[in-house]
Amino acid sequence: MVGILDFTPAIVLLPFVSFLVALSVGDRLPKGGALAGIAATGGSLALSIGTVLAVAGGETYTATIYTWAEGLDAVDLTFGVLIDPLSAMMLLIVTLVAFLVHVFSLGYMNDEDETGLARYYAGLGLFTASMLGFVVADNLLMAFMFFELVGLCSYLLIGFHFREPGPPSAAKKAFLVTRFGDYFFLVGVVAVFATFGTASFVGSESFPALAEAALRGEASVATFGFAPGTWFTIVGLLILGGVIGKSAQYPLHTWLPDAMEGPTPVSALIHAATMVAAGVYLVARMYGFYAISPTALAIIAFVGGFTALFAATMGLVKREIKQVLAYSTISQYGYMMLALGGGGYVAATFHLMTHAFFKALLFLGAGSVIIAMHHNEDMWDMGGLRSKMPVTYYTFLSGSLALAGIFPFAGFWSKDEVLYETLLHGLDGDPILLAAYAMGLLAVFFTGLYTFRMVFLTFHGEPRSGTAKDPHGVRWNVKFPLAVLGVLAAVAGFVNMVPVADVTGLEIDFLHKWLEHGFEGLTVEHYGTLLHDFPAYGAAGVELSPLLPGAVSLGLALAGAVVAHRLYNVPEPVEHTDRLGGIKTVLYNNYYQDEYQVWIANGLTRPAARVANKFDGGVVDGVVNGVSGVSLFTGDRVRRIQTGVVSNYAVLLTLGLTALILAFGLAGGWFA
Amino acid sequence: MTTKPELNLGSHLVPGLAAAALFVVMAATILSASFPEPQGFAEGANVTASIGYAMFNLELGDIPGESFLVGFITIAITLDVALDGAVHLATRDDDGEGSADALLADGGRELKRTLFGGEE
Amino acid sequence: MVPPEYYLLLSAAVFCIGLFGILTRRNALLFLMSVELMLNAANINLVAFSFVWGNVTGQTFGLFTMALAAAEVAVGIGIILVLYRNFDGVDVTDATTMRW
Repeated sequence: MVGILDFTPAIVLLPFVSFLVALSVGDRLPKGGALAGIAATGGSLALSIGTVLAVAGGETYTATIYTWAEGLDAVDLTFGVLIDPLSAMMLLIVTLVAFLVHVFSLGYMNDEDETGLARYYAGLGLFTASMLGFVVADNLLMAFMFFELVGLCSYLLIGFHFREPGPPSAAKKAFLVTRFGDYFFLVGVVAVFATFGTASFVGSESFPALAEAALRGEASVATFGFAPGTWFTIVGLLILGGVIGKSAQYPLHTWLPDAMEGPTPVSALIHAATMVAAGVYLVARMYGFYAISPTALAIIAFVGGFTALFAATMGLVKREIKQVLAYSTISQYGYMMLALGGGGYVAATFHLMTHAFFKALLFLGAGSVIIAMHHNEDMWDMGGLRSKMPVTYYTFLSGSLALAGIFPFAGFWSKDEVLYETLLHGLDGDPILLAAYAMGLLAVFFTGLYTFRMVFLTFHGEPRSGTAKDPHGVRWNVKFPLAVLGVLAAVAGFVNMVPVADVTGLEIDFLHKWLEHGFEGLTVEHYGTLLHDFPAYGAAGVELSPLLPGAVSLGLALAGAVVAHRLYNVPEPVEHTDRLGGIKTVLYNNYYQDEYQVWIANGLTRPAARVANKFDGGVVDGVVNGVSGVSLFTGDRVRRIQTGVVSNYAVLLTLGLTALILAFGLAGGWFA
Repeated sequence: MTTKPELNLGSHLVPGLAAAALFVVMAATILSASFPEPQGFAEGANVTASIGYAMFNLELGDIPGESFLVGFITIAITLDVALDGAVHLATRDDDGEGSADALLADGGRELKRTLFGGEE
Repeated sequence: MVPPEYYLLLSAAVFCIGLFGILTRRNALLFLMSVELMLNAANINLVAFSFVWGNVTGQTFGLFTMALAAAEVAVGIGIILVLYRNFDGVDVTDATTMRW
């Protein structure tokens, strides 16, 4: 009996087919390949819903689709799929957002008479296929390959308007910065293979299971001279390099704001909901491996908390609406990393889900505003759009309330759980977690502030330019996705209302229960056991009710909203941030991180490259040329034997004969 | 004034040392080798007649030996060929009047004819 | 009975004298004479061994080598004539065009 889960490869292949269709005949199709994309993602969405229902019934699925390298006495390299609650949930999120973005693109790209649509829809199709392939990957190498593929698609789509100077440069920057992180990821993948002989995520022979067994002393793996714990931390940190690059954490966050040069639906799909989620999803997928390494978890938490605060401060002073949202994305992924590092696996996945919905919503809403403003993104030219674009306004408001974390919208529940879990485990006596919690908490205030600054400047007040007075209208293909996501941003939080469950004793933490079943080593209980045993989270048995931290974070979010209301919800707002003076310059220039990275490249990489080039040209080429030089020189000298004088040849003959007879005589004992 | 002939010694004789070395080696080999007692020929045996009979594959000679009829014929042909080859290499078929070689190699007849030919 | 070593030594000596001539002589005709010496040294060797084994094969073969030497000299004289024509002299050390 063929179950729905056997159709998992179809989920990945349908968008790939739409990519091929758009690439080959897209120019001749009426909407440039859009309908193929919508049909494909719709089909994938239907299959994903079926998958989720099947997994809800308790099924899980893993299969090896294709063995592309079979090692004789070494590792096997395979492509396979893994369907468990985590991947099923992610499949649903990705296909839903992809479907809505495809519909939205009809309004953003087709209706705006963009050219090169076939290329656009081909890129979207390939991206969707790659992301879905990444989600269902059952081993680290396959995950890495799809990780790189989504990076490629990001490059292609950011640089969509390649005839202008900005987008190609931004595309290159995105690709290079993420590639820098992926280099460490690749080294980490090789290290995993070398250490465990397998890179599989699932099963008793998976590398997280082997690592755990090694640390408990039940098994032994190759650790190259390090203690097992140290080595696993090193490998985890190597893989974290790729995660930090892809999820735009400090210091590899510099590409994401520039990536806003791409079309807004691309920003919504790739740089808000899915591709940047890949890093966090990877850590969640191999959480059994990270949970046994306290150092790695502490680093993840600290980086996440720091990034959350760092990016939130930069979002305060931006003028363009998409830039504010880009820094907001960086900041919110910081929260997810904070949760993972702090031991809140459910909290991280919960925030991943809610963030995907409300951030995609916010980007699509921004896209609607941009259409209306004839592609002018500067918020100081907007204003008063509330009355003219009601659907956009209310959905955007729903997303903003979710982002800021205001009760009862989705972001409140997830962000609150993130901070609660971190605080709970930090109170066990972990100062790094407490520091990270503090940074995350402070970022809540800034989040509320910049979010509502954005809302008020864009939609409230008096219109500040002619375009704002008479905005371009948007059609159903823009409003429909906004409406769907607006509803989700409002209600998605109800799947895991932990504070309510704690207080009333009702079993309504559905997401927690959802992640409880699945494969043996990939459940929440198993991770809980690991977290208890290795980094000792929760070992001290600190009891803390979720109500108090929840109230604190809600209070900070509301405080930020109120400050924004006082400053910006006036008919004629001014740039209050100018009063910050020099601080504003630093923030506006992104703490000079871009210049710093360019300086590193010019100051460190370029001289190193020059030295390496000289070594290659001088030593390596010198050896090769030297060998040939020796050959040429000897040849030049030896050929002078051929003098042309016959007597010389006779001399050589005689000498040779004498030597030969002498040799044979001595060897044969003639003279003895 | 005549001078006695001088032995032409000089550095060009150095390669000859190779020949001397070869002689030394061969002498050492010969002297250290042991040879069987020479059997010699029977008293009054006609050696040349035996050689002659051996040339024609007739075994009428006193002293035994191998037959060399084929070799005999081959050598005859070879000598023939060598004679013809030498004659061919010696003929000059490229030059006519006015060649310096011809001038010097024909006993002066051509020169004489050129200088005094009109008068004879 | 003369022991065969003496004949062999004589043959080796004559051969090496001929070889000395090849190595040191510059005149092509003298070169050719030295070659003749070497051939005759081989002949002495053949005859000596014919005496050792009591067999006329060696002497018969010696006759053949003599005939061969004559043929070779005939060809050699022809080559010297061509050498003279092309290099204006019979000095073997002048003909050095086939060199590096």
